[in-house]
This record gives sequence, C-alpha cells and structure tokens, in this order.
Amino acid sequence: MVAQMIEGWNLVIGIEIHAQVNSKSKLFSSSPTDFGSKPNSQVSLIDAAMPGMLPVINKFCIEQAVKSGIGLNAKINKKSIFDRKNYFYQDLPQGYQISQYKDPIVGEGFVEIETENGQKKIGVERLHLEQDAGKSLHDQDPNFTFVDLNRSGIALMEIVSKPDMNSPEEAVEYVRKVRSILRYLGTCDGNMEQGSLRADVNVSVNKPGNELGTRCEIKNLNSFKFIHAAIVYEAKRQIRLIEQGDSVNQETRLFNTQSGETRSMRSKEDAHDYRYFPDPDLLPLTLDDDWIKGLQDSIPELPDQIKERLINEYSLSSYDANIIVSDKATSEYFEDVVKNRNPKLVTTWVTGELFSILNKKNLIIEDSPITSKQLGELVDNIENGKISNRQAKEVLEEMCESGKGALEIIDEKGLSQISNENEIESLVDNVLNSNPENVKKYKNGKDKLFGFFVGEAMKLSKGKANPKIVNDLIKKKLSQ
Amino acid sequence: MEFDKKSLLKLGKLARISISDDKLNNLSKDLNSILEFVDQLKEIKTDQVDPTSNSLNQKLEVRDDKVDTKNSAEDILENAPEKEMDFFVVPKVIE
Repeated sequence: MVAQMIEGWNLVIGIEIHAQVNSKSKLFSSSPTDFGSKPNSQVSLIDAAMPGMLPVINKFCIEQAVKSGIGLNAKINKKSIFDRKNYFYQDLPQGYQISQYKDPIVGEGFVEIETENGQKKIGVERLHLEQDAGKSLHDQDPNFTFVDLNRSGIALMEIVSKPDMNSPEEAVEYVRKVRSILRYLGTCDGNMEQGSLRADVNVSVNKPGNELGTRCEIKNLNSFKFIHAAIVYEAKRQIRLIEQGDSVNQETRLFNTQSGETRSMRSKEDAHDYRYFPDPDLLPLTLDDDWIKGLQDSIPELPDQIKERLINEYSLSSYDANIIVSDKATSEYFEDVVKNRNPKLVTTWVTGELFSILNKKNLIIEDSPITSKQLGELVDNIENGKISNRQAKEVLEEMCESGKGALEIIDEKGLSQISNENEIESLVDNVLNSNPENVKKYKNGKDKLFGFFVGEAMKLSKGKANPKIVNDLIKKKLSQ
Repeated sequence: MEFDKKSLLKLGKLARISISDDKLNNLSKDLNSILEFVDQLKEIKTDQVDPTSNSLNQKLEVRDDKVDTKNSAEDILENAPEKEMDFFVVPKVIE
C-alpha cells in the first residue's frame, strides 16, 4: 500500500526522540518525578521559576546521558554547555528551557536496524540534556487552559537522528531500537503511554536524483503505530501537493490520533526565535577520562551483542534472535528458560505459544502469569516425551488460568503421554491383528493405509500414545 | 547596536507583550540607551576567551539524585491569580 503510493518518490525521515531520564528527582531540582501524582504537588520553587532560585544539576542524570551515548556508539564530549532556549508559553514558568545547543554532552553515533534489505546504519547526530516543560490541558474548560507543572524540570535526553530513514517502517524500527537500547541500559523506562519516550518526526519527499524536498515536522508522537501512520499520511499529503503543482510549506504539524491526519500548528514565518545563549547560572559541564572509562566498564550487554551470542550459542535464526532481544525482559526470560534445554523448543514456546497468550490477554512479559521456571517445567515434559506438543498447549492454557504447575496439571488431567514401548507395542499389535485385510492390502502396495493404522492406534490409546513411537513401531512391524 | 521599531515589535511579540503605538518611541529610546550602556563591554577583547569561562577555575556543582519535596500544591498555587482543582488556570491557549 505504502510502497505503491510512494513509488517514484524518495522519502527522507529524521527523528528527534525525547527520552525521560530514569531519575528519582528532576534535572535541576530535588522534586520527585513520579507519574500520575496530584497536579502541582511536585513543584519546587526552582521548577516554578521563583525569583532568585538557582539550578543545581543532578549527577545521576549526567551519568545516564553518558551511558546512553555509549550505548548509541557515540562520541562523549568532555566539555558541554547549558544554554537557555527562550520562548513564552504558559507551561514554561522560566520563560526559557535549559537545554544544550552548540555543545551537547554527546556527539555523533549510530544504531543498526533490521530492514527488508538487511542491516542498515542510522546515524545519530547528537544527544543532549534538557528540561521538560509542564503540561497544559486544553479540554477541561471552554474558556481556560489548565496547567500542571509536575513535569516541569524533569530531565530529558533529546536524541537527534540524521535524516537516514527512507520509509515509515525504518522510522519505527529506529525508534524501537533506540528505546530498546535505553531500556537495556536502564537510562529511560521507555514507557510511551506515560510519555517517557516520544518522537518528533521530520518528513520530506523528493523525486530520485532531485534535491531534498521541504520538510515538515510532526510533533509529539507517542506510539509506534502513530509514528507509522503520521509518516504515511504526511508523505501522501506532500506528494499530492507537489503533483498538483503546489509546494510544501516548511511547518510544524500536529497528528490527530483520532482521524489519523496531520494539521498545521505553525508555519516557518511563525517559527520561534529561540535566542539561545549560555545559561549564566550554570558553568560548563566537564567530564574526566577516568569517570567516562568507569561508565564504559559498567555498560551491560546490549541487544546487538546478545543477539550475536544467542545465534552463536544456541544456533537461533537471526529472525528469532531479533524477536527475543527486542526487549530486555523477553531476553532475560528466554535465557532463564533455555538454560540446559533444547533452544529450538524453547524458542517456539516463548515466542510462539507464550507470546500468543500474552497478546490475547494484552499483557507484557513482565506481567506474564507463567514464570520462566514454570515454562521451563512444561518444556521439560515435552522434551522427555511425557506429553505431546498438542497436550502441552492445553496444559499451558490451564497453567495460565489456574496458576498451577505443569506437572500438577498433567497428573490431574491424566494427560501424560504413553511413551512406554511395551505398552505401545501391545496397542499396535492389537490394531494390526484386528485388521488383517488392511495389513494385506498395505503389504500389496496400498501405502496410504499407514495413516489408518496410526489413527487406530492413537484412538485406542485415547490420544495418549507418543505418536513418534507409534509411527516407528508400525513401520517396523509392517516391514517384517 | 541600534534597536529599531520593527525589532522592538518582534521582541514584544515573542514575549507576548503588546506595545501600543504611542509608547513605541519612548520605549525604543529607553532600550537603546540601555544597549548603549551595555555596549561598553564590547571594548574588552574577548575573542580568546571561551563563553561562560570564569576566573575562579570552578567546576559545575552537582547534587545526588535524592528527592526532597519542600512544598505542597497549595504552597505553589498560593500566588496564582486563578486556580482550580490544583491547576493553574490561564486564558484559553489554542495551538
């Protein structure tokens, strides 16, 4: 659909991600950062910009920014400067946002994403620290806007990509990857619903070989679905304009999550003039080599490295490994289960059966009703032949409903599979002896009857016989 | 640096302050005299000096990530001209 619409056009996308630092207190004040608190209950005199208040920076936030920079394969700047970004808005009490302009804490880096055409490197331009603004509620009253300053001053990392993405899918993959890296590092919780991670997307279109088109920026997208939908809509809109002979205006646009459309928020002429200048309340931030080295040594294994290890250690396919490492909790869960078990079987049960149950119940893996230990027990019983795959699905569902262990359910339901060869042999003998005609026909070349014998034997065992042993025995007996 | 009326109106717009025509002349004169005064700083050669450098060779002070709630919503809203349900209330803002 998208490819058709865009055929003959280049799509160029750059993204700014705002990721909330996973800190207990704000960037320049000691107010808490808890989500969902009573309005204006987490506002210090600094956050409210009372006269004479001075900002003091949170050491933890500096560490998280540098860690994130390392995770994004980026250059760490040993000297960075805080600037004032001036604009007037009701949820910005200072009248300026403390941000970093010319000298950010983190410089150029990159992340690798999976695309239809294989791996692709997406450049990161920079990462800087800045304050979040307060929250304005426009829909509470027809005549007034309500302002909550709880978010005011919370630390954000703004991660700016290079315009290296060329499809909505690549854009989504990029945001997914950055989010996943930050979550592995623990520097941002990545909760998009609560606004801990949101994206501004720059989109332009041009004909191959022509110079870049005029871009529009779509603000504040807080889900992968919206990022995709906003880019598709925006690209179509721009192509339509150009094909009609009109031109695209450089502007900031808002995405309406209800209608799936973007609409103009402000044009280039009305663009803010931020009048940046160094914040005289804050000295330059300097980092020393030993301190950076210490952080480098503390970086945990990141998704790309884990993926490589899973492929080498367990012979997983790149596709399966990707699914497993896309989320820290999933990879931890998987590694718990796979220890000393059959990797292929475990992959199927984690990414297939467990995921489908979680999806149905709309749960994330952290809230899985089945622990990794419990799933391991189930897999053990498949591996040792006690139950078949089909029975295991039934057991898994029951485990999910009752919270009981796999063995308990298997015993209760009398599900355990018959794997005793002697027992199965007598079943098979029984079937063959009571169908002498069919045995004769089979031996005369009617191969199709093989399935009939297996079916009869399974029926006789009430579905409990291990199908593989049944197959093997029938084959053996009929060839005698 | 000369501050003309056009720049003054732009500055007013950015700060959301309306400036009436009759005040424009005086305001422009006042601002220009302030700028002239400050302009004396330009006589000092600073091309070899980094912005925000200081003579004390100090480093940026940092603090630990500890929560300290000093005031309640009631405290912070005490001076608000308009408030409701613990929110600041301002004239409708349309984006």
